[in-house]
Amino acid sequence: MKKRLGVLMLALVLVVVSVAGCSSGSTSKKDEVTKVGFIYVGPADDGGWSQAHDNGRAKMVENMGGKVETIVKENVPEEKSAVVSTIRDMVDQGCTIIYGTSYGFMDGMVEAAKEFPDVKFEHCSGYMTADNLGTYFGKIEEPRYLSGIVAGLTTKTNKIAYVAAMPIPEVIRGINAFALGVKSVNPAATVNVSWTNTWYDPTVEKAAAEALIQQGCDVTAQHQDSTATMEAAREAGKLSIGYDLSAATTMPEVYMTAPLWDFSGYYTDSVQSVIDGTWKSQQYWGGMNDGIVLLDALTALAPGTAQGQVDTATEAIKSGQLNIFTGELKDQTGAVKVSAGTKMTDEALLSMDWFVDNVVGSLK
Amino acid sequence: MLHIVKKDVPKNREKIVVRLSAVLAALAVASIIVLVAGANPIELYIGIFQGCFGSVYRFSATIEKMVPLLVLSLGVMVAFKMRFWNIGAEGQFQMGAVGTTLVVRLLPDLPLPIMLVLMIVASFAFGAVWLMIPAFFKARFGTNETLFTLMLNYIALTLVTALQYDFWKDPAANGMPKIANLPENALLPSVSGFNLSILMAVVIILAMYYFTNRSKIGFEIAVLGESENTARYIGINVTKTIIIAALVSGGLCGIVGMMQTTGVSGALSTEITGGLGFTAIIVAWLSGLKVPFVVVNSFAFAVLLQGASYIQTAFQIPGSVAEMIQAIILFFILGSEFVLQYRFVSDKTKSEVA
Amino acid sequence: MNNDYVVKMENITKVFGKVKALDHVEFSLKKGEVHAILGENGAGKSSLMNVLNGIYMPDEGQIEVKGQLVNINSPKIALDLGIGMLPQHYKLVDVFSAMENVAAGSRKTTPFLNKKKILDEMGKLITQLGMDINPNKKVYEMSVAEKQSLEIFKVLYRGADILILDEPTAVLTPQEIKNLFEIVKKMVATGCSVIIITHKLEEVMEISDRITIMRKGTTIQTVNKEETTPQELAGMMVGDVMELNIPYVPVERGGKCLEVKDITAVDRNKVHILDHVSFDLYAGEILGVAGIAGSGQKELCEGIAGLYHLKSGEIIFEGENIVGKNPEKISQMGISLSFVPEDRLGMGLVSSMDIIDNVLLKDYRNKKGMGISREVSRDKAEALVERLNVSTPAIENHAVSLLSGGNIQKVLLGREIELEPKLLVTAYATRGLDVGSSQIIYELLNEQKVRMKPIMYVGEDLDVLMSLCDRILVLCEGRVTGIVDPRKTTKEAIGLMMSGVRSEGEEACSIS
Repeated sequence: MKKRLGVLMLALVLVVVSVAGCSSGSTSKKDEVTKVGFIYVGPADDGGWSQAHDNGRAKMVENMGGKVETIVKENVPEEKSAVVSTIRDMVDQGCTIIYGTSYGFMDGMVEAAKEFPDVKFEHCSGYMTADNLGTYFGKIEEPRYLSGIVAGLTTKTNKIAYVAAMPIPEVIRGINAFALGVKSVNPAATVNVSWTNTWYDPTVEKAAAEALIQQGCDVTAQHQDSTATMEAAREAGKLSIGYDLSAATTMPEVYMTAPLWDFSGYYTDSVQSVIDGTWKSQQYWGGMNDGIVLLDALTALAPGTAQGQVDTATEAIKSGQLNIFTGELKDQTGAVKVSAGTKMTDEALLSMDWFVDNVVGSLK
Repeated sequence: MLHIVKKDVPKNREKIVVRLSAVLAALAVASIIVLVAGANPIELYIGIFQGCFGSVYRFSATIEKMVPLLVLSLGVMVAFKMRFWNIGAEGQFQMGAVGTTLVVRLLPDLPLPIMLVLMIVASFAFGAVWLMIPAFFKARFGTNETLFTLMLNYIALTLVTALQYDFWKDPAANGMPKIANLPENALLPSVSGFNLSILMAVVIILAMYYFTNRSKIGFEIAVLGESENTARYIGINVTKTIIIAALVSGGLCGIVGMMQTTGVSGALSTEITGGLGFTAIIVAWLSGLKVPFVVVNSFAFAVLLQGASYIQTAFQIPGSVAEMIQAIILFFILGSEFVLQYRFVSDKTKSEVA
Repeated sequence: MNNDYVVKMENITKVFGKVKALDHVEFSLKKGEVHAILGENGAGKSSLMNVLNGIYMPDEGQIEVKGQLVNINSPKIALDLGIGMLPQHYKLVDVFSAMENVAAGSRKTTPFLNKKKILDEMGKLITQLGMDINPNKKVYEMSVAEKQSLEIFKVLYRGADILILDEPTAVLTPQEIKNLFEIVKKMVATGCSVIIITHKLEEVMEISDRITIMRKGTTIQTVNKEETTPQELAGMMVGDVMELNIPYVPVERGGKCLEVKDITAVDRNKVHILDHVSFDLYAGEILGVAGIAGSGQKELCEGIAGLYHLKSGEIIFEGENIVGKNPEKISQMGISLSFVPEDRLGMGLVSSMDIIDNVLLKDYRNKKGMGISREVSRDKAEALVERLNVSTPAIENHAVSLLSGGNIQKVLLGREIELEPKLLVTAYATRGLDVGSSQIIYELLNEQKVRMKPIMYVGEDLDVLMSLCDRILVLCEGRVTGIVDPRKTTKEAIGLMMSGVRSEGEEACSIS
């Protein structure tokens, strides 16, 4: 019965294979062009994390003026085989440097780095390195701290919602920085955390935000890639701190400010170093001084007093006067984790697994 | 008003014409979307095939996509032959992966060959049990297996989620919810991108060919699928046959869990199935539940999957567009089956006929 | 126009494929009468009523309803004309109450249920007809009779004054039948006209005013009840003995092969579908089983084959009681069952498989090991096709569903015979076959009889049963109403037994 279908499919395959074979020369690459791969965990227009990277990528391409071609793959799951096969695709198409932009790509990137020793890899937010695998990240906690100041000044109920993806050090660090920012202006306020276990799932993110709003939170913050948290705030008539990208035009009813990423400078420098042959595996961790992270301009919705306080703190951070994670810091149980005057080390920050005392929520 | 009427068996010539035009129509409609996305459709279609056959690596990637789909489709096929609508391949796949991981966690230091055998057995058993639950209820209480197997998918997914985020969470992953990668002694050996699961798939194809065409139980399953009355009339033990078919069907889907965990992913995760369990249903059905066509069609589907993945990066069209092209082709092929089996009749002609 | 007639059907002809289901049928219904349509299965009773109810469109003829020439395209139009048919299979929503079932689908129902109004209207009708319906009772709590009342009520509530009841008493107990007839009488008294399809003579005599007898798609006669007798009706129903070219082969019958003792079985509705059935079957004889469809033939066959659960009784085969054995075991003991259902396929044959595989069905267990071999079956299939002259392009890769009905049945029966069973049970073997094909089947059976096989033959056509069989067992409502020698009895006598009149010579016959 279905024999014909099978024969048909096979015939079709054969025909097109032969066609493909004839024309395979058409995609020959020009020598001058460097091919750069970008792997995103969500869609490139997610309005958040992946879009921040994609904006950086686009700017980099512009900066390099025709010397670079990029290959983008969206929606790659944080699963080793998916990452490895994406990388193989990219290498197969001539990429010489590949940026993986999600923490969960780590296993796949480590594996692929072994498989393709001649290709350069950079993994955003990870900690594993190799000769041809570097990491890059920004001290987003700095602008997060600043956004905490805005939130702390805004809240009337003294409860701030924080919708967060996964209990990994990167996210925990951000929450703590935010909470410390809140505390610096409003010691009575708490930061209420809800985990979604996903970077990008608008439905889940929104539900988490709604639950927190129902518990009395009147300002939302987020470590999520979509704008769903702000959407929930808008529906409930609350105010929001965004993340990744400015939502001043997309969420004008709720958006006060957001800690932002600007990868364009980093990507430009990094790709240039590959072209120049000076690329080296490193662990890049830039801050506000480097321009990779920044706080968006406050909108009219932010409290009047906020601008001044934010400016002061920004100045202090940039000048090195203010180090966010300086003691005395207590954890949720009240135990002193960092004694007065001590600065936390990078190692401690990179493996942070506790909440400061004005955070409400578990670490699971 | 229009009525939909079942047609006589279509002629082979008609079949070829209808299916060929379906593919062409699909490509034509997809072209519009491709053009809107800013690419040249002809180049793109050629690109699909370049992406699948253009190099040894690309071909191995196609095969890598084909193998799990093939085995899943064979598994689904066995149940479908019995008119037992196993929509739960996804869940059996996941449970097979759970079984595989469990073996490694319990006995982490076994030598590779013993490990592999144990993993195969465990994955088969886990997948089989996952389908035998609804099979038992169907045979015993006449429950609807379609819903039952579908719901078990979500239970399996929830279980894997719980394992990944809690019970089996890798403490060395710095809070990242993932299950630890399998050790070296639990990974399928591979040669230049082609891993051992291809060999397993070949064995499974041959075994399933024998099973469906040359074995008593396969014959009984086919009879039962055609007519339960006939099966009872010739003295087939209906309950036993349902359970055995479920065992084979679920077991095969379970083995895919092992192949993917140890051969491709290296660790169990909620993402491991990639929705293949559902694609397998389409493959099995389009193949008329016959082994040789399952092989051909899973290859064709692997070409679609790999091609879509390739054009995404090669032509820089958004992932959603690649998925739309896939969906359009599929839609037209399925639609052509409808055209082959039914025709529209208006009220007027109907009363004349009657 | 005679306004006394609410329905006049003239010259109605309806052809299905090559079969004339209705051949220039005449039928009329007077206002306020109960009109019984009497006939054997396949006489065209239901087809005629389906024409009146708008389910079938007649190929020829005209219908007048209440003096108007009408064209009934659908049951909806029929209902507009006041014609309502009680479905044989009740179409009620189990989880709804009686009232909700009445409201559902009624055109009187407004988008929002006006329960009070419906209840009021229901109450009026209920008292008027003396029906036993509790509007709030859920359907799943109702007995079969209550469900039937509810269906009747539904039709009346929708405004029908011409009511068609298709075999309404088949599922009822005697007491329930009495109640039903009471309701029918009251309906008639309020001006309704009722058509009742049945084959039970005593019921016909009790309830009807006029009787139309149908046979083989034609109307034989319409008579007034007062002017006829059950004997005369039975005679008209079965017709004269037809000379068939079926040779009766006299064979000196051998020993007792099967002893059926007092078997009883109930159906889903807890009605006794087999009621203390006893008979013996001997080597070298064909025992015919006659009866109106649904009298327990299927259950009897399946009971012997182990496919239908028997509540009590024994079936002794080769000295062993086989009641309670599984079908596989019974089949291995050499009892073969070939049952041809209405749709011909579905029992015994797998329609999508070819002849080889269908032969293999009964054969595959004989090979040792896990595998099957088609070689032996291929030989048997070839022999079968050749011997029975089965017309098929191929025995392989050619689904049996693509064969003609006669050829399918040849395959079914031929396969059973080919396997050399010790006991052959066959039901409706010639169902839907033309004369030539039937002839081959009869010859096959006679051939087996000569080889001293015991054969049970369930048939529909009395003429065939009478010329083919050595003895005929008559079933009515699950009871044996007689076991007779067809050469020593009349067709009318058997017709009466089929309608529930017990044969006086029963004892003598079953002992002989």
